[in-house]
Amino acid sequence: MTGKAVLGLLAAWSAGTALACGDNLGSGTRRIESPQFLLVYKLLPDPVPVGRHFNIEFALCPRAQAPLPGEVRVDAQMPEHKHGMNYRPTVSPRGPGQYRAEGLMFHMPGRWELSFELRSPGAAPQRLSQSLQIG
Amino acid sequence: MKRRPRLWVAAAALLVGAALAEPLVSPLNNEDVPRLLAHGPWPPSALRDPSNRVSAHPAAIGYGGALFHDVRLSRDHSLSCASCHQPGRGFSDGLPHAAGPQSGTRNTPGLDNVGLQRWFGWDGANDNLWAQSLRPLLDVREMGNSLPQLARTVRSDPGLRDGYRRAFGHDPGADDEAVAVDLAKALAAYQETLVSRRTPFDDFRDAVARGDRQAAAAYPAAAQRGLALFLGRGRCYFCHVGPTFSNGEFSDIGVPFFIGKGQVDPGRYGGIQALQRSRYNLLGPFNDDAARSSATSTRHVLLEHRHFGEFKVPSLRNLARTAPYMHDGSLPTLRDVLRHYSELNEDRLHADGERILVPLRLTPAETEDLLAFLDSLNEPGAAPARTGTP
Repeated sequence: MTGKAVLGLLAAWSAGTALACGDNLGSGTRRIESPQFLLVYKLLPDPVPVGRHFNIEFALCPRAQAPLPGEVRVDAQMPEHKHGMNYRPTVSPRGPGQYRAEGLMFHMPGRWELSFELRSPGAAPQRLSQSLQIG
Repeated sequence: MKRRPRLWVAAAALLVGAALAEPLVSPLNNEDVPRLLAHGPWPPSALRDPSNRVSAHPAAIGYGGALFHDVRLSRDHSLSCASCHQPGRGFSDGLPHAAGPQSGTRNTPGLDNVGLQRWFGWDGANDNLWAQSLRPLLDVREMGNSLPQLARTVRSDPGLRDGYRRAFGHDPGADDEAVAVDLAKALAAYQETLVSRRTPFDDFRDAVARGDRQAAAAYPAAAQRGLALFLGRGRCYFCHVGPTFSNGEFSDIGVPFFIGKGQVDPGRYGGIQALQRSRYNLLGPFNDDAARSSATSTRHVLLEHRHFGEFKVPSLRNLARTAPYMHDGSLPTLRDVLRHYSELNEDRLHADGERILVPLRLTPAETEDLLAFLDSLNEPGAAPARTGTP
């Protein structure tokens, strides 16, 4: 097999993996990518209403040989107002690499920074984040 | 002030799929339209509180309405709920501080639309309306009663006992606390019916939603300019958002919270602590909803130092009836409130680098426009008698 063919197979495998990640969440998903992980999430409901609780379902797919983290935390900050949410979400695993976060609330319209913190024993936490415009 | 493009008609037309031939002169821009629409529709669809088994039950509403005006719920039979929550004053009392047997340190909030709230009281120390209704019955600074005395009063009076039986389907039992909580649940069922009527703002908002230029034009120009400030440069809608004009949360807006020498009102910080201690919260044994479906906020609420000195964002509907203003009743008029925001003392705000709350430096004309807008959030005419109709 030539080097080009190997690369092609790798690209196809990679694309196949990316397509599979979060497929179970249905349409309306959003993605955050890092060198080690692809995170696909869905806001429930989307769009998120201001001042109402909402949930997030998400899939975390390791790239290459990266292991799944031991714990995932979800949080959000409003950088322009220098504060976070008034509520601490809980994250429950729903299967390998599948999670549900509950109890979030964006209590103001504007730009929020949604973050997923991946924690594993003996390793520095990794943060995947994305900016959302609310309201 | 930066001039803003006047495109709201086009945006509204896109929203409703209608093409409007002539532009309407308006200070609202295309960004304002979805923000405007978020403040309705009004009234909201009727809600039922799952934590209260007699919520929306006509017999309980009637019983709760009678209890609301009954002085026998106070220890010395001198006060009823309506003594401070006066129907003709938007269910407030017109005083800076609540005045019971002992003077309070906070302003008596109005009760219009109280059933739509998530947290109750200026500090949100309760997460449900029946617990909030029980609190003043037992507070020595207010009605000063006790659980055993409340239960005895109901059991011993034929009229109260009969009303209880009709509301709850059985006679008051032997458990004093359960009987007292039931009284509070009947009071809550009544207060849930205190929904304010439509206002000129609601007519304007709905006219924009359906692209009805002619109906929208009936909204006064000054109120439209005030609305544009509210949604734009003023950034008032960051907190006063949604159909009740409140996000239901808490904020530090630089109102002093000193209540005496060496004493401070901790506001939301103390409220969360009290909530978590309370056996009447939605995680406690008196929630009638076994699934705890409405307890999400209580389960997830976060206690942080920044909550110190925060107070609830009040609704802006029917403000004309609930002066004076702020959690401590320190500002006699809405003009004073606007002056507070215009000359905001940023040193009093907790957050470093605050970029949303800034002194508005309102011109006299802008102040008048904002007052016209706030006036459009009042029900037209005199204060109506809310009859407690489910």
